[in-house]
Amino acid sequence: MGLFTILISNIFVNNYVLARFLGICPFLGVSNKTETATGMGIAVTFVVTLSSIITYAIHKYILLPRELVYLQTIVFILVIAALVQFVEMVMKKTSPGLYSALGVYLPLITTNCVVLGVALLNVQEGNNLIETIFTAVGASLGFMLSLILISAIREQLVIKDVPEALEGFPIALITAGLMSIAFLGFNGLV
Amino acid sequence: MNETVKLALILFLITAISATVLAVSNDITAPKIAEADALKDENAKREILPDGEEFKPLDEGKLKAIQSSHSNISEIYEAYSSGHIVGYTIKMTTNGYGGEIEFMIGVSTEGRIMGINILNHGETPGLGANITKAYFTNSFKNKSTDGEITASKEPSGDTEVQALTSATRSTDAILDGVNTALKVYNEELAN
Amino acid sequence: MEVGKLKLSKIFKNGIIKDNPIFVQLIGMCSVLAVTTSAKNGLAMGLAVTGVLIGSNVVISLLRKVIPDKIRIPAFIVVIATFVTIVEMFMKAYTQDLYNELGIFIPLIVVNCIILARAEAFASKNNVLSSAVDGLGMGLGYTMALLILGSLREILGAGSIFDKMLFGPNFEPALIFIMPPGAFILLGILIAIFNNVRKKKETTEA
Repeated sequence: MGLFTILISNIFVNNYVLARFLGICPFLGVSNKTETATGMGIAVTFVVTLSSIITYAIHKYILLPRELVYLQTIVFILVIAALVQFVEMVMKKTSPGLYSALGVYLPLITTNCVVLGVALLNVQEGNNLIETIFTAVGASLGFMLSLILISAIREQLVIKDVPEALEGFPIALITAGLMSIAFLGFNGLV
Repeated sequence: MNETVKLALILFLITAISATVLAVSNDITAPKIAEADALKDENAKREILPDGEEFKPLDEGKLKAIQSSHSNISEIYEAYSSGHIVGYTIKMTTNGYGGEIEFMIGVSTEGRIMGINILNHGETPGLGANITKAYFTNSFKNKSTDGEITASKEPSGDTEVQALTSATRSTDAILDGVNTALKVYNEELAN
Repeated sequence: MEVGKLKLSKIFKNGIIKDNPIFVQLIGMCSVLAVTTSAKNGLAMGLAVTGVLIGSNVVISLLRKVIPDKIRIPAFIVVIATFVTIVEMFMKAYTQDLYNELGIFIPLIVVNCIILARAEAFASKNNVLSSAVDGLGMGLGYTMALLILGSLREILGAGSIFDKMLFGPNFEPALIFIMPPGAFILLGILIAIFNNVRKKKETTEA
């Protein structure tokens, strides 16, 4: 796949949230305010890109040659956990405002399906290093895009009249469903 | 003892135990996985080329040469009946919507596709997963190995097969794979 | 110090209704939407998660006095990842078709928030038997949700249930339900219904 196609595919056509169902927990949990959504998106982009590169290297140079591929899940998640710890420490020092805004959702990036999902998909599709990086960036941008979009809508929904049973998660999910339909329209692009 | 070192050691110990447990599980399951795969292959070959009485793997040198330009071809077998070759089965992978699709295609020495068999796939049930349905795989039977195979809603003629509703990526993946196999057949095997 | 011993049946029922991971706690969503394209897949994933949940709850409960507090999250992750990998291997060996259909969502069980949440909230604070029952309850509650959503999507989107065609050949299913939008919308409606039922129950009990 061409590099540009990889970007378009991962941001729009196979959007990691609206089409692949990865990253739903933060998608529904952090999307109340557009500011936090953007901050989360940036943090995730950083973690996803770095972890994809590291897991790619580990898979190619350590796991494959030594027939240890079955340790993939364990090794990958430990790498991700370590990276998130690292990002937490750095963020605490460099932008404490964002650090406290993200709160408990920052360590939760470890359990964000997008991070592990991208790492696993890259290996599964046999991407080389450049393709891996582009996939990681594309996936994270798509995640951030959908996060910003839905938080903008949710900010509006809070003001409007919503039937009681639908308040909160249900209406967010239905909104996501409608966004997903819209994104289906990108299908012919790639 | 230094607090951090102690914590690291405990974590290391837990990880080491888990790695050992996994290594043992791997030893138990790996042969079973290989066995299940082999059985699937055998059945696929016999189903696609029922005329074949005996299947022999293609000469290794020739296979390696083919694989150097088509890395997604994993196995090629020659099918023999009464001592002479009647066809070939080609096992290969192609990139579908839900990951890699592994399938096998049989071609007869008379220049006809004898059939395809989907071995492994991760396509969506109800959509791309229909590549395993008979109305799809059967539409490949008897198609010509000359020229490119395409899909259409109402297939007609020697090179058209059934298109799947709302599963263009999956259909295209199979077409891509099949056409690569035909290319390999025409260039390397049919002589 | 252990939390007061709750009756086992109460722990079990907790996971199914009162604290149902999907309908009430609203966690572990990723796999719910992705694998419920058919009833069979939903059931398989539910059982896989239940297996991992019971396994990890038991081991973490056994080790709860040994694991130092500072490294408990990484330690939990290692234990959970081990069980997930075992499930992966055995599914690949014995149920290969299911393994292929569930795809990367099998290894993704490791980041299923439910498992880490139960480890942290329950297994690390309770004895082995209670933890096992909690794992069973939560797991079955999760499975039930997956089964309902998977069946709905399969019936509406493909006209079948567990691969058995329900309606005649002329039935045109609404494909949208098998596709991503259908998942979001149906789940949203289900949670709304569950909320409604729960609210009514609470007001009648009050």
